[in-house]
Amino acid sequence: MIEHAGHLPGLTRDEVRWRSVRHAAWRETVEIALPELDEAQAQALCARVRADARSRLKRMDVARIVAVIDEAIARLLDRQHPLRRKAEDLLPIVTGYDRETVRLGLTSYLKTFRRPQLQRFLAEDFSNPGMLDTFQPAAKGGFVRAYGPELLLHVWAGNVPALPLWSLICGLLVKAGTVGKLASAEPLMAGWFAGLIAEIDPELGECLAIVWWKGGEAAGEAAFLRAADTVIAYGSNATLEALRAKLPATTRFLPHGHKIGFGMIARTALDSRKAMMLARLAAHDVARYEQQGCYSPQLLFVERGGRVTPGEFARYVAHELAALAHRHPRRALSPEETASVAAWRGAQELRALDGGTELFGEPADPWSVVHVEKPEALNPTGLNRTLKLVSVDSLDAVPALVAPYRSYLQTAGIAAPPAELFRLAGRLGEVGVTRIAALSHMGAPEAGWHHDGRFSLLDLVTMTEIEHSAEAAAEGFAPYAD
Amino acid sequence: MTQAEIVEALLAFIAAPEATEAEFEAMALTVFSYQFRHNEPYRRFALQRGRTPLSVRRWRDIPAVPITAFKDLTLSCSPPERAERIFMTSGTTQGVRGRSYHPTLAVYDHSMLLNFRARFMRGRDRIPMGILFPDETALPNSSLAHYLALARHECGTPDSAVFIGEPGLDLDRMLATLAAAEASGEPYALLGASYSFVPVMDALTARGQRFAMPAGSLILDTGGFKGQSREMAPDEFYDGLSATFGVPRSACINMYGMTELSTQFYDDGNATTPPVKSGPHWIRSRVVDPLTGTDLPEGARGVLVHHDLAHFNCVSAILTEDAGEIVPDGFRLFGRMGGAESKGCSVAVAEFLAAARG
Repeated sequence: MIEHAGHLPGLTRDEVRWRSVRHAAWRETVEIALPELDEAQAQALCARVRADARSRLKRMDVARIVAVIDEAIARLLDRQHPLRRKAEDLLPIVTGYDRETVRLGLTSYLKTFRRPQLQRFLAEDFSNPGMLDTFQPAAKGGFVRAYGPELLLHVWAGNVPALPLWSLICGLLVKAGTVGKLASAEPLMAGWFAGLIAEIDPELGECLAIVWWKGGEAAGEAAFLRAADTVIAYGSNATLEALRAKLPATTRFLPHGHKIGFGMIARTALDSRKAMMLARLAAHDVARYEQQGCYSPQLLFVERGGRVTPGEFARYVAHELAALAHRHPRRALSPEETASVAAWRGAQELRALDGGTELFGEPADPWSVVHVEKPEALNPTGLNRTLKLVSVDSLDAVPALVAPYRSYLQTAGIAAPPAELFRLAGRLGEVGVTRIAALSHMGAPEAGWHHDGRFSLLDLVTMTEIEHSAEAAAEGFAPYAD
Repeated sequence: MTQAEIVEALLAFIAAPEATEAEFEAMALTVFSYQFRHNEPYRRFALQRGRTPLSVRRWRDIPAVPITAFKDLTLSCSPPERAERIFMTSGTTQGVRGRSYHPTLAVYDHSMLLNFRARFMRGRDRIPMGILFPDETALPNSSLAHYLALARHECGTPDSAVFIGEPGLDLDRMLATLAAAEASGEPYALLGASYSFVPVMDALTARGQRFAMPAGSLILDTGGFKGQSREMAPDEFYDGLSATFGVPRSACINMYGMTELSTQFYDDGNATTPPVKSGPHWIRSRVVDPLTGTDLPEGARGVLVHHDLAHFNCVSAILTEDAGEIVPDGFRLFGRMGGAESKGCSVAVAEFLAAARG
């Protein structure tokens, strides 16, 4: 079976060149056909989306867009819906994640885009979301209206299923004509979602396109990059820099680089009952999407002085990861990924020669835990369920240990009593952490979160203001003016 | 066993014409005992793996240290400050270079020369050589500089020359030498780092100049490009050498060596790539799953482990970062097994280190 990816309004399947890519996992294979537009097609598509956005999308009320998204999400949450079934069938083969991980992940993720949550998105960024539809009175006087870009280009990356929906939906909420570039590692969900939107509201469906090109190579790339008013991009700093260098100076660029997540466990959370539970929650965060998410923990800082020592806690986490491996088997690793895990584990093993380091699990286990007694700075692990636990005398030492890596910081998972939570949060915010979550929630940001500390919607719009002077002066020109 | 005894035993082992599996195994176990006894960090490493001279019965079970250990640990059976020579890696991790300590170069030199004569010299005693790499006085810690110096002194004719000095490549002198060699009709050998050949080829192409070196001429390159020149695909590289110097690809030999070894591997020319690489009877290679260290079957791609008896003072068994597969007469090398970038949006080690280097 061949699955055609993307969503290309105005183009028939026969008009487009397709590049076939084979994915295999869990003893199944699937062939994905990715659209490769030539330069003229790319230009025409961008022009068409821009024109439709101008003439149709900009005239729609946000309420209508919200209703369409809500309906599309409802269908994807319905496990009997053919598209949902297809997603549950194909995404494990394409991404390598096990079936249950994909199923549970999809449901918990999609739930954040129903109507009430979408309203939360809007309320989070706009004191009065009505300003996306009409001019609204401004607090300082006058009136203000928010406009999304006419053409917003998303450059997605990574294999976390459905992740692109986040920025895709944000763009639609601000009425942006949308072109999204699929990630090769998960090239399906965004196109399917766009297809659903088109099915529910054909007019809205004309205002978005989902495309693909081979990064840096394709003829179409330049056309897409030239056409966009705003570009949201995900990837490594090297990828983002290369992309930025190709954009016109007037294009707004919103990059989201790779991040490293970490956790902090206070001694008060380490009594024998709570520690077991916490270990399970932490293991859950580690196993979720194999630490590929920007919010995934790679290190846990554990405070000494609790009933359960950091070393014992490490043992608990190792135990939980071993148990999880049965329920949610790790995806098959590429030779490079295996080499990364081996290199990390090998380095830990060498350090263990000097004492103060304990390794848990056998090299062949689908997880690896190391515990070190000496405090050390933030450092990535080998990913794919490899976790380091670092003992600290006090969690107050942690901000200094992570501060040098400000540009890589985003999510911290904290288990601590309320007063300590707020005190630590204040210090973490100062060094660049932008999101603090409970353990087990690190991988599931809540609706309306500020990705990398930025505004998901507000960053996309420009404001047009009618100053009070204009409004007052207009009175002088009214037919009823005395 | 004392150092003098192990050196004597190894010189004899190397000088023997061949070694059976059993003879290699016996010598490997002897060397392992010696290293286990005198190399403190290696002993701790082996103990951590549960491998001691008492428990290990096969050479394949002798624990291989990851080459990064040469950066993190002082791996030496003799006091490092009394080393006759310390070879250091050119690559660093956060400023730290891997080190191999040599209390004597007798074993290294013996290993290098016997093997070099057998694999590169093709029956000759001496050949005029041009070296595309700085000499030993400029780079005293480079194992390659020492290797090339040995080659030149022991196997080169007196008029052999080093073309890379303090100010860099002396292209004019090199071209004059090559022109003279071309006219003489006598075979000539060019040896150097792979990346040193690239600017020479580029310069000659720019001038529209080519050589047709006499039949029997040889080229030896080693080490890859290491960011020192532009990267070239293997076929592009050997086609370029062949076109520029008129030396057929079958006479372009690639040497695969490492600072962490005292013995080198060669192919028998690069008419097709990747060629089969092999070493002499005192070094053996395995291809393993990097995580578990277990041997992979012939033809399966994994990470190379080398077991070099000549590297007696440090550690003989090393786990490389090179991808390879075992084939009937040796192994094929596929370059570095790089770490993976994250498939998602988490930071992976490679990106983090690159950022730390700035």
